[in-house]
Amino acid sequence: MPTLEFDDVRIAYRTAGDDGRPVLRNAVDGVSLVLEPGGTLGLAGESGCGKSTLAMSVLRLLPSNAEVSGAIRFGGEDVTAMRWGRLRAVRWAEAAIVFQGAMHSLNPVQRVSTQIGEALLQHAASDYRDRARRTERITELLALVDLPAEKADAYPHELSGGQKQRVMIAMALACDPELIIADEPTTALDVIVQAQVLEVLTGLVRERGLSLLLISHDLSVLAATCDRICVMQHGRVVEEGPARQVMADPQHPHTQALAAAFPEVGDPDSRLRLPGYTAPRPAVVPGSDDAARAGHAGPGASPGEVVVAADGLTVRYQGRGGPVTAVDDVSLECRAGEIVALVGQSGSGKTTLARSILGLQRPTSGAVRFRGQPLPTRRKELLAFRRAVQFVLQDPSAALNPRHTVYEAVAEGPRLHGLGGDEEEIVARALAAAELSPPERFFGAIPQELSGGQRQRVVIAGALALEPSFLVADEPVASLDASVRGEILALFLRLKHELGLGALVITHDLGLAWNIADRVAVMHRGRIVEEGTAEQVLLDPQHDYTRNLLSVVPSALAADRA
Amino acid sequence: MITDTTPAPAPAAAAPATPPSPSPSRQGRRSPAAERRRRRAAEVWREFSRHRSGLIGLAGLLIVVALALLAPVLAPSTLLLATEATLPPNQPPSAEAPLGTDPAGRSVLVMLLWGARISLLVGFAATAVSMVIGTTVGMAAGHFRGFGQSALLRVIDFFLVLPSLVLAIVLSTVLERGVFTIVIAIGVTSWAATARLVRSQTLTVEARPYIERAWALGAGHAHVLGRHVLPAVLPLVLANTTLTVGSAIIAESTLAFLGLGDPTQVSWGTMLKTALDTGAATAGYWWYVLPPGLAIVLVVLCFTLVGRALEAVVNPTLRSR
Repeated sequence: MPTLEFDDVRIAYRTAGDDGRPVLRNAVDGVSLVLEPGGTLGLAGESGCGKSTLAMSVLRLLPSNAEVSGAIRFGGEDVTAMRWGRLRAVRWAEAAIVFQGAMHSLNPVQRVSTQIGEALLQHAASDYRDRARRTERITELLALVDLPAEKADAYPHELSGGQKQRVMIAMALACDPELIIADEPTTALDVIVQAQVLEVLTGLVRERGLSLLLISHDLSVLAATCDRICVMQHGRVVEEGPARQVMADPQHPHTQALAAAFPEVGDPDSRLRLPGYTAPRPAVVPGSDDAARAGHAGPGASPGEVVVAADGLTVRYQGRGGPVTAVDDVSLECRAGEIVALVGQSGSGKTTLARSILGLQRPTSGAVRFRGQPLPTRRKELLAFRRAVQFVLQDPSAALNPRHTVYEAVAEGPRLHGLGGDEEEIVARALAAAELSPPERFFGAIPQELSGGQRQRVVIAGALALEPSFLVADEPVASLDASVRGEILALFLRLKHELGLGALVITHDLGLAWNIADRVAVMHRGRIVEEGTAEQVLLDPQHDYTRNLLSVVPSALAADRA
Repeated sequence: MITDTTPAPAPAAAAPATPPSPSPSRQGRRSPAAERRRRRAAEVWREFSRHRSGLIGLAGLLIVVALALLAPVLAPSTLLLATEATLPPNQPPSAEAPLGTDPAGRSVLVMLLWGARISLLVGFAATAVSMVIGTTVGMAAGHFRGFGQSALLRVIDFFLVLPSLVLAIVLSTVLERGVFTIVIAIGVTSWAATARLVRSQTLTVEARPYIERAWALGAGHAHVLGRHVLPAVLPLVLANTTLTVGSAIIAESTLAFLGLGDPTQVSWGTMLKTALDTGAATAGYWWYVLPPGLAIVLVVLCFTLVGRALEAVVNPTLRSR
């Protein structure tokens, strides 16, 4: 008997339509899936494809406006027909959920031990009424997820993101469930922590014979963890099969797009080449000496003058436990017509470095030079620098004022700089350069009406309106869907080749660096530990930290090796 | 001759002044913004109209404002002159004076109508003063860092802890007597809470990435405050305004009751003061004490109801409570 079985499940949300009358919107549209005991099933798809809705339906955790039809059988028992008491018993004790965003799923004012203890008291009160027994079990659970016993006394804010996520897993394990549903458990984590969390999950499946339903938008995460992968689009399953087969030989175009969005580092097919745009370059044999220069050799894209440079830059914050050095004596040159990827874990000081280079954060010592001159501090004198060096932020939904139309957002820069000429034409040209066409159609739209990818294009258009020579982009695609990610990265490549624009792209994603970067700088604890062409750094890493970063990138190749 | 020659170049000059192409498209651009604003207003109204208490408050306010505006039509101002009074003093409610008469023989109803004008005027004007000061200081205290911020915060703290009534009394004794003085005294003493509110909202808005984007685009303080912070803070200020009007009306009554108002003008506060001074309150002439008191309670209640409903509309997190 399978642990979990979806039989032609359809889920629709009742919402108010444009005319105020209730409308049914299909989230899941006829899905049939089976998860065998001890099996691991990966559910992939872009945001809005219905994967989380499907997962939440297992424990009937959907909001009250959801209408479910079809059968969801857990251990042969139909969940939709369960009585409330039975459902409560099943929740957590037999099937547990690890929610997305551990940062927000833990109570900030309770100790870790209290929160794990809550699950024990709720579902197995008779066994754990005794405090000592409970403490013993909590220690045992923390050991399962590789956390020391002392962490039981910690509050959530004293833990790192990965530790919090592991506490969530420990909570899910508290009552020895048969099934764990993990909804994007690693999305907010950086690669190194992600690898640790995935390792804990796969280890538990192996040792305890649990069944795992893992949801992610990242196919490579699923490939590294699951036996079977199921790809969803618009509420339907478009492809299902053994993980290796889905990764190696995707059949459905949507799966192919998802797989292509997360490139293999070292795969020549994805080097400076994205679906939709291929950088013009002379044919080179990857891995040969030419390959190292390939990034610089593109016609019309040879790196130009140094636009901005960090010169012995140090930034110190006054932290709670004394001064924190976020950026430690960093020197970095950024040229026009060259894309530099700044790679590192979260907390490595990447963003602080970017903000200092943009003149938004005053360095403690050292200097930022703009075309050889130190940055002025007065606003008036900074204007020339502000025109030349533009900023693309991480989350495009937050980077646009929700009250301003696209037109106003793009025109903001030209207005601030008092650019003459026809404002409308400048805006239209910038939008067209950011591949939003026809531009006039977007003038009156507000950010809320646009998709994530379109919003990021508007942010980029706002930067392009000033005709800059350099862009600083802080995780420009981290909050976007896989297919959109490729398009935005292709846009960066195109801008480099067609407008000679240089870019400093900050990322924790080595695949991104492999996709578009000419040069890669690896940052670790505020220092740049390795710098060189993308091929040098990513294919032949010298520093231990770079090797460590590369080794934890989940990939199908890694799954093959295992 | 001159007038003959000038018309000739005029059409030529006029032609480029009205270029046909940009204006329709510019209108095409502005109209979606206007359209959106109208839609947003309709949305706010729909949301507001769901609050029954808010609607009741709004209706009450509209009636009071209409009566106050129509006072000269309903009851000529000569009826306020004690020398012109024809009715006996301290008469209980009757057909000629539905709310009785005051110790000078004037109709209490007429005084109530005219009093509403001063009370509402002072309420609105003092609130306007308080809101302007509070919003400006609050935004500045949230926006600027370092010494300027701490200095402003200390000033806000000073006005927060200061017993505002005492300060208002001092101000209205030092300044010339009159409605204007009362407005200033109330406005200057009641902005601190607004400033705190606006400051916290400014801090949350300024933590948003789009502010960072504006800085990176080369924005100055004026641009960030004017284009990004002020529009985000305004809804909150508006909701706060209605609440403040109520307390300003109370403050006006208090000052007038303490004898600091303009003695030549009738307001609800001065009516209460005369009632006390002439012994009407102690002599059991309830018709002179209750109407102004109840009027104050009703108007303040209406403002509070409207303010609460507006607050819930503006701040969606309060809706479920």
